[in-house]
Amino acid sequence: MAEIVLGAAFVLIFLAIVFGIIRLVIGPDTVDRVVAIDLLTIIAIAVIALLAHIANRYIYLDVALVYGLLSFLGVLAVARFLEKGF
Amino acid sequence: MIVLLTILLCAGILISGLLAVQLDNLVSAVISAGLASLFAAVVYVVLAAPDVAMTEASIGSGLSTMIFLYAIRKTRNGD
Repeated sequence: MAEIVLGAAFVLIFLAIVFGIIRLVIGPDTVDRVVAIDLLTIIAIAVIALLAHIANRYIYLDVALVYGLLSFLGVLAVARFLEKGF
Repeated sequence: MIVLLTILLCAGILISGLLAVQLDNLVSAVISAGLASLFAAVVYVVLAAPDVAMTEASIGSGLSTMIFLYAIRKTRNGD
C-alpha cells in the first residue's frame, strides 16, 4: 500500500515539475514566471519531504522548513518590486 | 525513480540557466537564476548533503535574488 502511494506521489511530482517548467518557459509575462517559480518551490518542498521519507533521515525536513520560509520571502520581495519598486 | 527525478531536476537547472541568459526582461532573468539554485538545492539533498542544500536555499535562492532586485532598482534610470 505504501509503495503504491509513494509511486503515485513520484508520478504526480514528475508531472508537476514538467508543467511548471513549461509555464516558466512559455510564460509571456513576468507575473506568470513568478507564479511558476512559487509552484516549483512548493513542489521542491514536497520532493525534499519525499526524499526524507525514502532515505529515512529526518534531518532533511529542516531543509524543507528553511525552504518554505525563504520562498515566501522571495516571492513577497518580487511582488513588492513589481508593484512599486521596493 | 530517484534517478529519473534527478535527471529531471538537472534538466531544470539547465533550462533555467539558459532562460536566465536568453530572457530580455531583467526581473524574469533574475527569477530564472533563482530557480536554478532552487533545483540545485534539491539535487544537493539527493546527494545527501543537507547542510549545503540549506545554505544554497538561503543564500542562492533568497538573498541573491533580493540583492539583484535591489541592484536593478538602483540602476533602472541609467541602465
